[in-house]
Amino acid sequence: MANGIWKLGRRGGTQLPLVIVAVLAVVLILLGKAQSSIFDRARASVTDWMAPALQSIRQPVQGMQSWVGSIGEVFTVYQQNLKLKQENARLRQWQNAALVLESRVKRYQLLLNAVPDPKLSYRLAHVIGRASKPFLETMILDAGKSQGVKPGQAVVDPGGMIGRVFLAGDRTSWVILLTDLNSRIPVMIEPEHAHAIMAGDNTLAPTIDTLSQGAQIKAGDQVVTSGDGGLLPPGLPVGTIVTQGGGFRVALLADPSTTEDAEIVDYQTALEQVPSVTPGDMPASVAGMPPAVPQPPVTIAPPPPAAIPGMPAAGNASASHQAVPGAAPRANQPGAQQTSPPQKTDDDNEDHPE
Amino acid sequence: MVERSGVLAGGVMGAVVPVFLGVLGVLVANLPVSVFGGLVPSPLLALMPVYFWTLVRPDLMPPVAVFGIGVLEDLLSGGPPGIWAASFVVCYALIDRERDTFAGLSGVGAVLGFAAAMSATAATAYAIVSVYYWRFPPFALLLVEIAVTVLWYIPGAAFLNWVHRRFVGAARSEF
Repeated sequence: MANGIWKLGRRGGTQLPLVIVAVLAVVLILLGKAQSSIFDRARASVTDWMAPALQSIRQPVQGMQSWVGSIGEVFTVYQQNLKLKQENARLRQWQNAALVLESRVKRYQLLLNAVPDPKLSYRLAHVIGRASKPFLETMILDAGKSQGVKPGQAVVDPGGMIGRVFLAGDRTSWVILLTDLNSRIPVMIEPEHAHAIMAGDNTLAPTIDTLSQGAQIKAGDQVVTSGDGGLLPPGLPVGTIVTQGGGFRVALLADPSTTEDAEIVDYQTALEQVPSVTPGDMPASVAGMPPAVPQPPVTIAPPPPAAIPGMPAAGNASASHQAVPGAAPRANQPGAQQTSPPQKTDDDNEDHPE
Repeated sequence: MVERSGVLAGGVMGAVVPVFLGVLGVLVANLPVSVFGGLVPSPLLALMPVYFWTLVRPDLMPPVAVFGIGVLEDLLSGGPPGIWAASFVVCYALIDRERDTFAGLSGVGAVLGFAAAMSATAATAYAIVSVYYWRFPPFALLLVEIAVTVLWYIPGAAFLNWVHRRFVGAARSEF
């Protein structure tokens, strides 16, 4: 140990370099606060470069952990099997109910000409790194820009949402977990439909930071993403409300510390429809803009007749997510003309909706 | 002649080993390996060689190297840039100022000396993060990290001591 058995080194000559690096450190902090993209690019490059090593380390570690974890489960495997069978039977009933309700909702949406649901596609990625530090809770996934990952996308595991991508390299991406000190996402608390902000504070249960005025919530209420702001899709399961110390916290459904594979949600909001020009509108040249170029008319076929419950419908509106088109059907009268931007279909994506 | 070549080899090795072990400490501490399933923060391994060689051979652990190790820790840990770099530099300044006190410690006292340096480093990081985010992060995890790092220093110091005797050695001027 450093117990003075060696003679001390020469002390002189360190003051000036020490002052210089201290100034550099302060500059680095200020630079990171003002312009973090430089540091983020460097971090992404380093992670991309280290990705093969992290992946190779992950496999034996994961195997070792699962082997150690399975030792204790040997003694409880029978009780677990019975419990899982009961749970499976119960979930099958819920699945049937969910399928019936889903098809019913889609029929109603079609009848009401409702705004189509956002398209979600998923990209499976492996967790190749974790950082459980006093000031941050992050993880590294082995999918990056080359796989279509973009900052801001939600990351979920089978339990629910665990975080969102905040930095995407070419082959890796960094995920800020919901428990991180900097995590703040808009959520909705059901069944009250209360909007709130859920904020992480590096504890296992994030807090409900900002709650809409007059909202009455209680322990046991479900928390899902609200979709406010358009960055995250609405309805992703997050957790359950619990009370602690007079305030509300969220017991997360997912456990990021045990997550080995995660799905990155690609959320595509429906493109906004450009309103058609009517004779009463002022010309664009009034605003100093060039006159609009007339678009070639697009004739849209009349919609299929609405499905009647219990009867097979032409076009089978309830069978597919594509049954609710992106184009607003309100103009879908025979002979109506509509100019609309091209809608991205699922065929354009490499991902497959779950 | 043999003695001269041995000293030369020791000099080259001595110049590389302390910084190399600091970098290695950063890499190991940020690997996706968790002995306690992520419940306990990983120790700040990079601080051990920084503390050790700042005491016994400060000529081999210059401030620039300490700053570089801190930047690498920032880079790989995912946090805001400069937090650990500044904390390591503050720790270096503390050790440099109180070297006589720290170097005179032995046994449990040496561990307590490292605990003091680790506490100063963690307190600096906590202060910077509090100002950076303009709110106080929870303190409990930081205390756990201090405790884990100090516990790891007990075998770590023995290892560093062995490395120092085997590869680095005392400075030429100290004979």
